Amino acid sequence: MENILEGVKDALILLTTLDPEFYTIVRLSLFVSLTATLLAAILAIPAGIVIGIKNFPGRKIIIRIVYTLMSMPPVVIGLIIFLLLLRNGPFGHFSLNFTPTAMIIAQFCLVTPIITGVVINGTKERGQDIRELARTLGASRSQTLWLLIRELRINIMTAVVTGYGRAISEVGAVMVVGGNIRGHTRVMTTTIAMLRNMGEYSLAIATGIVLLLISFIINSLLYYWQQER
Amino acid sequence: MKIQGTGITKVYNQKTVLDIDQFTFESGDFWGIIGPNGSGKSTLLRLISCLTEPSSGKITYELRDKGQAIKRSMTLVFQKPYLLRTSVYNNIAYPLQIRQVHPPEIRQKVEEMLTSFQIESLADQKAWTLSGGEAQKVALARALVFNPELIMLDEPTANIDPGSIMLLEDRLRFHYEKFKPTVLMVTHNLQQTKRLCSKVAFLHEGVIHDQGSIDNVFGPDGTSLVKSFIQQGLI
Ligand SMILES: Nc1ncnc2c1ncn2[C@@H]1O[C@H](COP(=O)(O)OP(=O)(O)OP(=O)(O)O)[C@@H](O)[C@H]1O
Ligand SMILES: [Mg+2]
Repeated sequence: MENILEGVKDALILLTTLDPEFYTIVRLSLFVSLTATLLAAILAIPAGIVIGIKNFPGRKIIIRIVYTLMSMPPVVIGLIIFLLLLRNGPFGHFSLNFTPTAMIIAQFCLVTPIITGVVINGTKERGQDIRELARTLGASRSQTLWLLIRELRINIMTAVVTGYGRAISEVGAVMVVGGNIRGHTRVMTTTIAMLRNMGEYSLAIATGIVLLLISFIINSLLYYWQQER
Repeated sequence: MKIQGTGITKVYNQKTVLDIDQFTFESGDFWGIIGPNGSGKSTLLRLISCLTEPSSGKITYELRDKGQAIKRSMTLVFQKPYLLRTSVYNNIAYPLQIRQVHPPEIRQKVEEMLTSFQIESLADQKAWTLSGGEAQKVALARALVFNPELIMLDEPTANIDPGSIMLLEDRLRFHYEKFKPTVLMVTHNLQQTKRLCSKVAFLHEGVIHDQGSIDNVFGPDGTSLVKSFIQQGLI
């Protein structure tokens, strides 16, 4: 309990003293997770919508695979990406291991099935109605897709927020492919894990509090934006 | 728009729900499509509006305005209309927006529709808060606003109070007289058919059992099947 209270105090100190190392960590966390989520969203939103409404052979098995991948442990995804990026691995010549790029790739793989799965669920429910309405009003293919995105925006927003929440909070994938290198690949969650190993409990809690605070701000912004539409 | 179909069948799970050798809906005719539940009326409209593929056969469309795209020149209003999650105004504006109509013209046409259907006061209301009858009016306004050559209506006045039925019929008649589109209207209301339509097709178990002018189909020389349906009040 003491550690937690200490942590709150330390969090305030961390935030107000503008400690440059700490801000580097926060900035990298945000950069990696937001980039991964954004890239995943660009792929997963149309994919989820298409899988949600189109009837094609293999659709059911694809949905089941997506759902399974949603609960894939980040550390496993990290390990797979790590192996693929190993110097003598298939993508070794890019030498991406222990770089922020590798972390983005790993989180991208983590988040894509989550966004796809949530979007599939929302689309299954109303997608067909929306598509048929668009057709009866003479919408083109791209106009129909755009209308689906607009109509399903609350579901899509939920999907993106869920995916982002998963990315910013996971530690396994970024640890394995990033390696928690100071000033280079160290993010908030790997910092917390490291501080805990060093016995710096209150500082670890402080970092956790900052992490929560950032998530709260981002969610509030998205919520606000969603209300406006 | 003139619509012709030949050898049209629709099979669901090995069950033939529609089997029509030939049909022709001439440009500018106002058809009533009647028949008992499950006779295939909605399926026929879905086939004509290309929402469902026929199992066999072919439907051809002949536009009056040849420069238009066929799919952009027809519309279907569902029995339970789907309204977009936005205001009533934006719902009616949508078909014009996707046709890149100039904003001032959109505003003018939408306002015309709002006045015409007496729903000006609902313009800014969110569509999901409307009553069933109000939603039906918005859906019809949204279908008429872009002036399609073919208008298909699936029980447009089911669950609507008598006053609103009169208003909808009046607006529909007004629009029809002005633009002479082809109209296919599914209805279970015999009186409504007589009030609005010039032609009627009677569907029974997926087959067009009888069709022609109102007087012929409903008159003394009509088929016994139609007569028995009228007597039982099934239409
Ligand atoms: N997607 C579908 N899958 C399986 N069967 C269907 C499907 N759509 C329609 N049917 C069947 O086709 C038949 C005709 O249905 P349809 O909706 O065209 O009837 P309808 O004449 O419009 O009836 P109602 O007056 O009740 O609206 C029904 O027996 C229905 O169960
Ligand atoms: Mg029906």
